[in-house]
Amino acid sequence: MERTKANLSDNLTGTPQTANRHLEERLATTKYPARTGSSQGVCENGIPLSTVPDSWKEERTRSLEDNEMSLPSLAAAYTTILRGLGEDPERQGLLKTPWRAATAMQYFTKGYQEKITDVLNDAIFDEDHDEMVIVKDIDMFSMCEHHLVPFIGKVHIGYLPNKRVLGLSKLARIVEIYSRRLQVQERLTKQIAVAITEALKPAGVGVVIEATHMCMVMRGVQKMNSKTVTSTMLGVFREDPKTREEFLTLIKS
Amino acid sequence: MQCHKATAEVNGLCNMKKVADLCSVNGFSEAALDKKKHNKPDEVALSAMEEAYSTILRGLGENTERQGLKSTPGRAARAMQFFTKGYRETVQDVLNDAVFDEDHDEMVIVKDIEMFSLCEHHLVPFFGKVHIGYLPNQKIVGLSKLARVVEIYSRRLQVQERLTKQIAIAIVEALKPAGVAVIVEAEHMCMVMRGVQKKNSRTITSAMLGVFREDPKTREEFLSLIKS
Repeated sequence: MERTKANLSDNLTGTPQTANRHLEERLATTKYPARTGSSQGVCENGIPLSTVPDSWKEERTRSLEDNEMSLPSLAAAYTTILRGLGEDPERQGLLKTPWRAATAMQYFTKGYQEKITDVLNDAIFDEDHDEMVIVKDIDMFSMCEHHLVPFIGKVHIGYLPNKRVLGLSKLARIVEIYSRRLQVQERLTKQIAVAITEALKPAGVGVVIEATHMCMVMRGVQKMNSKTVTSTMLGVFREDPKTREEFLTLIKS
Repeated sequence: MQCHKATAEVNGLCNMKKVADLCSVNGFSEAALDKKKHNKPDEVALSAMEEAYSTILRGLGENTERQGLKSTPGRAARAMQFFTKGYRETVQDVLNDAVFDEDHDEMVIVKDIEMFSLCEHHLVPFFGKVHIGYLPNQKIVGLSKLARVVEIYSRRLQVQERLTKQIAIAIVEALKPAGVAVIVEAEHMCMVMRGVQKKNSRTITSAMLGVFREDPKTREEFLSLIKS
């Protein structure tokens, strides 16, 4: 296909970082250009700005010991919540609920315990493949950071390799690490795309997420059938409309 | 505390073995929460819950000062109160006006009623559809009231089996029909998002009372009508 050949030659003869121009821009600025009103000192993950260039390596590491140590206070907090709702924490069905709910919440945020480096280091292979690779319909379960209520959906990832390919399940593992956190769908999409870009330096990455937000379905506006779709297109996917179109067509079929 | 005991009674009542006994007891609606006490969400309880949610966020390793999480304890506490608003509502208030005398003795079905509830074991949502059918005995109920009854009982910390039974009993108690059938099919996020992680599994529970329990053909008619 013409577009891949053209871009490949760009990469070989032009600047090596052409495909990652947008990533370079992001690394150079102190905050995301599109964001208004964000605080000056930190980017939206709460990570100090000085470490933004290494953000995909600089994962927040919560350990299993931390989990065990915070479990009693989490369980006590859940007991308070049960009482605040007017329930009786002593009745049979609710007796162990604080512990179960605390463990469940720790599971829903286990992405904080994992690092991208652990997951990816081994599975990057040198392969002379320059066609689009797509992994679609990856089930995603995350927690809305505003209401602590789940949002669930599918993630579609496509990338154009530049001499390096990634084990396919590792794409799903990256989704798991970032989705099992207190998230906002926009940030989740971007984090997945940036992680793949930084790990593989591909010609381009496209990530599309469509999700149903329980905070909109179960409360508030209560619109059952609404879905939220976010996308991040980096590199060739952003610059070349035909590449983007091919990706979007392939994930629809 | 009185409100806790009342809640426990409401929820515990359905552990009784003989459903038929309940039809003759007026006590079911009396066991609902004292409405004066729970007319609006308690402010003191709200701030205690907000503190609890702050503790939870910190215990999970998050930074409670960051912009996205600053108001989350308040939002999460109010969301949780919304998800349990069924405790503050009684079936009497919802049904009293809309029971009509009508000489109709054929099956009435309201199906595909969306239902959202909270699993009492993990505090994680489960949601699905409720199908209700009843055979009137001189009295019919406004159709939306069936959905409202579902709302009252689902917006609580629930177990799907109990939810099904409570809906059935509420209708029996209000209308004294010849029979009631309730089927709930739901997906449990506690099974989908964690634990066994089986995404496509659904749990189906049913409650058949009166004619629906005794006569297989009536039950069969109900089941085939909700499938179509």
